Parts: sequence; C-alpha cells; structure tokens
Amino acid sequence: MTIELAGVWKTFGEGHTAVNALKDIDLKGPQGEFTVILGPSGSGKTTLLNLVGAIDNATRGRIEVGGTDLAQLGVDEQVRYRRENVGFVFQFFNLIPTLTAAENVELVADLTASDGAARAAEVLAKVGLADRMHHFPAQLSGGEQQRVAIARALVKQPPILLCDEPTGELDFETGRMILQLLQDISREQEQTVLLVTHNSAIGDMADRVLRLRSGEIVDDTHHASPIAAGALTW
Amino acid sequence: MVSPLQRKLWRDIGRHKPQFIAITITIFLGVGIFGAAWDSYTNLIASYDQTAIDYRFANLTVAGGDTQAIADLAAAEPRVESVEMRTMVDVPFRIEDTKLLGRALGIPSSEQPSVNRLDVSAGEYPTNGDPSTLLVEDHMADHFGLGPGDSFDILVGDAWQQVTVGGVALSPEYIWPARDRQDIITTPDNFGVAFVPEELAEQITGSGPNEVVIYYFGGEADEATTLSLTTAARELGAINIYTRAEQPSNNALTEDVKGLEEMAVFFPMMFLAAAGMAAYVMISRLVHAQRPHIGTFLANGFTRGQVLRHYLGYGLIPGLLGAIPGAIVGVLLARLITRLYTSILSIPLTIVDFYWTTLLGAIAFGVVASVLAAFAPALVASRVLPAEAMRGETPSGGGRRSLLERLIPPLRRVPTAWRMTLRGVGRNPRRTIYTIIGVVLSLMLVLVSWGMIDTVRNLMDRQFVEIQREDATVFFTGPTATDDVAALVAIDGVAAAEPALTLPVTVSANGEHYETALMVLPDDTELHRFADVDNGWIDLPQRGVVLGQATRDLFDIEVGDSVTMTLADGLSVAAPVAAFVDEPLGTMAYVGRTQAEALAGTSLPATSALIAYDEGASAATLRNTITELTQVAAFEDANVLYDLMQRFMILFYAFVGVMLVFGGAMAFALIFNAMSVNIAERTREVATLLAVGTERRSISRYITAENMLVAAMGIPLGLVIGTLAASAALGSFNSDLFTFTLYIQPTTYLFASLAILAVALISQVPGLRAIRRISIPKVVKERSA
Repeated sequence: MTIELAGVWKTFGEGHTAVNALKDIDLKGPQGEFTVILGPSGSGKTTLLNLVGAIDNATRGRIEVGGTDLAQLGVDEQVRYRRENVGFVFQFFNLIPTLTAAENVELVADLTASDGAARAAEVLAKVGLADRMHHFPAQLSGGEQQRVAIARALVKQPPILLCDEPTGELDFETGRMILQLLQDISREQEQTVLLVTHNSAIGDMADRVLRLRSGEIVDDTHHASPIAAGALTW
Repeated sequence: MVSPLQRKLWRDIGRHKPQFIAITITIFLGVGIFGAAWDSYTNLIASYDQTAIDYRFANLTVAGGDTQAIADLAAAEPRVESVEMRTMVDVPFRIEDTKLLGRALGIPSSEQPSVNRLDVSAGEYPTNGDPSTLLVEDHMADHFGLGPGDSFDILVGDAWQQVTVGGVALSPEYIWPARDRQDIITTPDNFGVAFVPEELAEQITGSGPNEVVIYYFGGEADEATTLSLTTAARELGAINIYTRAEQPSNNALTEDVKGLEEMAVFFPMMFLAAAGMAAYVMISRLVHAQRPHIGTFLANGFTRGQVLRHYLGYGLIPGLLGAIPGAIVGVLLARLITRLYTSILSIPLTIVDFYWTTLLGAIAFGVVASVLAAFAPALVASRVLPAEAMRGETPSGGGRRSLLERLIPPLRRVPTAWRMTLRGVGRNPRRTIYTIIGVVLSLMLVLVSWGMIDTVRNLMDRQFVEIQREDATVFFTGPTATDDVAALVAIDGVAAAEPALTLPVTVSANGEHYETALMVLPDDTELHRFADVDNGWIDLPQRGVVLGQATRDLFDIEVGDSVTMTLADGLSVAAPVAAFVDEPLGTMAYVGRTQAEALAGTSLPATSALIAYDEGASAATLRNTITELTQVAAFEDANVLYDLMQRFMILFYAFVGVMLVFGGAMAFALIFNAMSVNIAERTREVATLLAVGTERRSISRYITAENMLVAAMGIPLGLVIGTLAASAALGSFNSDLFTFTLYIQPTTYLFASLAILAVALISQVPGLRAIRRISIPKVVKERSA
C-alpha cells in the first residue's frame, strides 16, 4: 500500500503559542518499503507517524494511503481505516495487563477475523512466543512484551506497520532481535513499514531513511541493499 | 506566599474538579445532616426541658388510691417541691353536633396550679369563682374554633350542662393530645381536654380528687424519690403511676425526637464513610499516577514528611470546603427545623441556641473523615523509593483469570473483550471492594429510608386493617348493658356490633408493674384479631390473659407464667399469660368476656362497642345516627384515624424522600469517583484499543459492563446489610407505645437495586464522555498515561 503526503502541515496550539510540528512535508512511499524516520526529540517523527495512522489529523495538506485521502475520512471511517490497514507498535508496548499474551493479540484479531484465537497463536508462534502465550504481561520480559505488541500489530495482516521507538525501552540485544523480527516479517508479508527512532544506527537496516529536523525533512536516503537488523550495532 | 507544592495541590484538584466536587458535596451533606439533626435534637430537648421547668411539669403522677394520704406522703419527701391534688375525669363533651370523649381536669379556682401550670394563650385563667367557666386545651379549641365566650356542653350525671370558655390553654401534659399510653393517636373529633374548676370536676365524679401530681425541686428527676413514692402509693391503692418520662404526651414526643438523635448519628456516619472512601480512591489514584513526580521530589531533597503533608492536603481541602459550609448550613437549618417543629406541635417554649461544640464538632468530623481517607495513600507516597518511582509507572497488577472464569469454565471461551471486562473486576481489588462498599452504603441508606416507609405503611395496615377490624368504635357515656350494644345492629348500615369493656389496669409480675388498659371482648370476637408472636393468628383463649409483647421483656415472663392484674377499685386478679400478641400500637391486655364474667362473678357491661358497617353504608350518616343516641358519648371512625395517620406521615415521607435524594447523591459521588478512576487508570489501554481500530462505543460498552458488574456485586450484600441496618434503626424506636417490626416489600428491594444500578450507570457518563476526548497520539506516547 502506497503512502503519499503532499504539502502536509501539522500545527499544535493557536496564535503566538502555535508550534508547527510538521512543515510542508512531501513524501511518497511505495508498497513494501521499510522506512526509518530519524530525528531528535521534537522533530516531528511521531507526529508524522500519527498522521499516517489516522490517529491525528493534518492541519493542512493531503495524505493519501492506498489511494484513500485521509482528510476525507469521518470518525467511523478512520476507525475502519486503522482496523483494516494499520498496525501499531508503541515504545511502551501498551499491553492490556489483565489479558494474557494470546488474549492481547486475539483482542485485535477479533476485530477483523472470526478465528482470532487461532490467528493469535499462529502470529505469536511466529514471533517466538509459542510457549509464553498464556502468560500475562507482568510475567514477560520487556523484549517478550514488545514481541507480543508486534504480534498484536501483525495479526490483522495490515498493509502498513507503524512503529514508534519500538526499541526505546529495550536493551541492545533485545532491541536488535525485535528489529530483526520486524524486518523479516515485513519482507515476508510485503508490508510498508514506517519506523520512528532517534537511533541513527537503525537506519542501516531500512530501505529508506528520512531525517527530520524541526518538522522538516532534511534528508531522504535510499539504501539499495540494507543490512540485516541482526548485524546492527550501536 | 503560595509555594509551588501548594500550587501543584490546587492545580491537581482543579484538574480533577468533578471528583473533588463529588467528595466535597458528600462531606457537605454528611456534616450538614449532622449539624441540622444534632442541633435540632439538642434544641428540642432543651425546649421540652425548659417547658417542663417553666410549667412545673409533674415529675410523678399518681392516680387512684388514697389521694390525700399519697399527697401527704409526697409533701413529706425532702426532694418534693410541690404537690397538687386534682380530679381527672373522662366525660362526654358535646360541641354543637359533635359528641366526643372529653377529659375534664380540675384546676384551682383562685390561681394557677402549682404543678402542671397552663399557658393561657387566649382569654384568662378563670378566677371568677364561676364553676361553669373553664379553659379548653389548645388542640380542641383550634379544631372546633372555640374561643373566650363560646360555650359547649359537658355531661354531668345524666344531663348536659352548658359551660363557658374562659380561655384557651396549652398544657405540658397535652402538647401531644394523647388520651393514655395505649391510645396515643386520637382525632380531635374524638378526644378533647378541658381544664375545669375543681368544683365542677368533683361534681362530675361525685367524689373528691383522684389524682396527685408531684413536682420535684427544680423539676429534676430523682429516682430514689420516685421509687419511694411509687412503692408507698401502690400500698395506698394507687392504680396508675407514671413518671414524666412515661407521661403519654411527653413519651410520644420524646420517641419522636429520638428519631433526630438517631439521624444525627446514622446518616452522617454513612455519608462521611462514603466521602472517605471516594477520597481514598481518588487520592490513591493520584499518588499512583504521580509516582515519578514523587520520586523527583524525594530525589531533589524533599523530606518524606513534606510529601506526606502534601498528599494529606488532598484530603484536607475537600474536607474543609465541605465541612465548613456544611456545618454552618446544618446549624442554621437546625434553627429552622426547631422552630417549625415547635410551631407545628404548639410547644409553648422554643429554645434555639447556638452550640459552638456542634459547629466545631461537625467541622472536625468532616475534616477528620477526609484526612483519614487521604492518610493511607499519603503514607504510600511518602514511602516511595525515588529511584524506583522515577523509572516510571509500576505495572498495575499482574493479571490473572477472573474468579468467574475459574468457577465457570465456559466463560473462558467468551470473546476476549468480555474476558477483559471480567478480569477488570479483580484488577484492583481494593478499588473494587471500595466500590462494592459504596454500593452497600448507598443501599443501606435507601433501604433504611424506604424500609421505614414500608414498615410504617405495613404497621398501619396491620393495626387498622388486620388487627382492628372494626369500622368504628362507639364510646358510651357510662357502663352500658350488652343488650344495648346488640341493639346497634338494628341501625340501618350496621353489620355487626361487639361489646367492649375497657378498664385501666396495673399488670404486675416479678416485682415490675405496668399500667395499661384491659380490654374485655367477646370470646369469638370478629372485630379484633390477635397475632400471637409465636403462632400467628389465634382466637381469644378460654383461659388466661393475652398481653402485648412489650410486657414479655419488661416482666421477663413466658406464656403460662402468672401475672397479677389490679383494677382501679383495688381488686386484684391473678391470671396466667395465654399468649403475647404483636400489635404495632400500644401494649394492651385482653381477656374473653366469659372468663372475665366468671372472674367477676357477674355479667359485665360495655364501655364501648366495636361496629362494622354494611357494605356501601355511609360513615357520615351512621355517625349522625349513632351519636344521637343518648347513651353514646363519642363515635370514632377508624378510617378517619387511618387518614389522620396518613396525614402525619406526609412529613415523614418528605423526610425519607430527602434522604433518598441524598442517598442517590452519595451513591453518585462514590460510584462516580470509582468509575472515573477506573477509566482514568486505563487511558492508555483505551487509547491503544482505539489506535488498533476498536470503536469507542465498544470500549465504552466493555468499561460500562465491568463497572456495572462491580456495582451488581455489591447489591446482594447491600440488600442484606441494608435490611439489617433498617431493622436496627427501627428497633431503636421500639417501646411499649410502638412496636416496629421491619417489613420491606419485595418490590422495594427490586426498585432499590435498580435505582442503585441506574445511579451507577449515570455516574459513568462523565467518565465515558472523557473517553471521547482521549488524545490517542498523546496517550500512547506518554509513559504515565
């Protein structure tokens, strides 16, 4: 699924307190591309991700995903768009503490499929948690929790995966393992991935690296042959 | 100068305004009710006490026996200040077309009596020596529109004698116009009091004084004097002896005021407990959410004491904001209630004092409840380890399968979202428990209030429909032959008439005495039923006396034990107790006519007749027809009495209605806070679910279901505890005058439960609206959502 942004602005606040988080962003991302968005805090990375995920609206400009103009979507259509097209992975995992790993994934699987439990088990096995699926989040390590979060994002088989600092809370080894997982799965399922991080080393695993500063794209680099995430160092 | 920490405190409160307002209002209500009820109670008791002193209300009244000897004996007692002999006689009055049971009380013709003085509100105290000029009691004057110069008739001997109203008077003995302890509720059409020159009273009785009224120094009770005089008076043949506390009017009023005292404790306790729990839930959540801030404070050099004090502030502020105005409004309201009460009951003296202790006590109660609620979370805050706290939010619970899933395995297969709902119930056990306690408290308040309505309605139906089955009671001018009673059936519209003989009697057993009325009824009476406390409905036994159940505890006796009944003429009869009956009003003694006549050795007359109407008969016509009969002194329509009681109940219903509204407000405050916190605590979960495409209404449904499940869990417990509380609250009103047996209609349980669920549902609305305002991008990115 292609992603296309044209002249996108996002402004928070009004009047003299207004802050432009994104300024006139133009971007075209083909289907299956793994894009890493780099930038310091406050550069607009997460805002960009949120706009593509339709959990926030642009102030100006046009965002089209798979030919759909997100600005034209009503509240219910935004929900449907997210449900059918987008998988989110958050920095803080955001798992439901009262549900087991399998149930956290199943909860989302049920939104789009009738065989949610089977699909959840399948995806959890894919992320290496077949033997941990009946554990509750508090019984899992940080890396395991993030893998559950990835499984939750993938279970709907969304064409777009949006990852916001997915390794921000993890140690180096675990972080690298998570990135490898994301890389493998996105290649396998031909998903378009937007991954936000402040860690520039992660850019080496991406097909494309966007650098943002103060809401503007200051660099747009394509990698012809990105390295395997497992080989990253930082 | 306001410190940054204080600014934080106020801003935090501002951010959680609705929750803190809910706590403040609950404290306000609790403290307000305390102030209003306690000061009203204190003022009314003070008013009664002062009235008793100013009007020299008798400490002891002795009827019957050797009056002169009793008076002499009393006068010799060192603690006795005044003794008065007088004549008291029940005699028919005729005011225009209405005949009623009158009571003539002898008063000195030269000056006010030294005991039981009168407050002459219109006209003058009769000192002209004319025995036919008298004072009428305020209630009777008011009902019949009597004033100075008016006249009515009193039956003296066989002839009606016209008397002139010299004035209208209030008496401490008839503030509540009760005929006697067994007949607390009368209609003004049926009973009235006149204070007549002693000469006229003696003319009516045809003998000398028959009562001694005794006033102790300063009007103060003295148990030793009372015991000594009572014992001596009984030996001198006294038949009816009662202290000021037992005096019918005073007793009825004291029982009534006792309700305010109960209210001053029971209701505020519930409100303050509810406010405390709401504050606890709210402040615990704040502390949990602010762990990183607390860590930062501590890391930057704040002392644990400072942190403790800071979080105690979250309890102190709503405590002060609720308690100060609550106490002021309560105390002011008490003045209004006192004046309203004394004016409705025509209490001669109204004392409205300002009691600093109530004001300060009320504020202290409110503040202490709120600060205590804040203490546990504040202590937790002060004990936080800075390094740990700054690492972020600790996981809120490990998560586990719900009890329901473990008990009912098929529930494990319900959709995941509903499993989340089930598990949410046990996620924060303490909060769940507090919400359940909130529901229990709310149901208690509702059931205690509503239970009172149901019980009193049931009590009235039981007394006036099931037990007293007569449509009217006809009182005769004197002892009347039973044949005359039978003749009443000949009157068109009268279906049945039964003779009744009512005699004042002292029942004694195990050294205790109880003055009551003995009612002799036909063995097969159809118009009065007997509800045996152990065996349900029974017939009047062939042998033995049937007693009201209050005597069982008073005498410590059981069925089969013997009691002695002493009649006014001094005649004593021993009889076994055949049964104890459950009668809501009064504590009477009953025997069958055959047995009574066998004991007397002669046939007995009737003093009244119980009559039943033909279906469709006009009560008004019957009243006119029957009261025209010369032997008839008064006609009491049971329906009028029933309606009168219903009218009295309106104030009671209004009070209970207010309590129900307050209960609803309390339930709302408590449940609202618990629900708000529940929703606030899972903001990130909600945002995550929204981000993955779950509809807001689905999330609202899950959360609503979870909260309603918690509320529903509290209902069975609330119904049980509410019923026990209602029973205890009503039990405190039980006396020989009233027996309150709790009765709550099944529909009351149903409606009370539905009302609480409705409140729980409504109280979620603000929280669920907040879900709509959740900023997904902000929340999913924040460490502490």
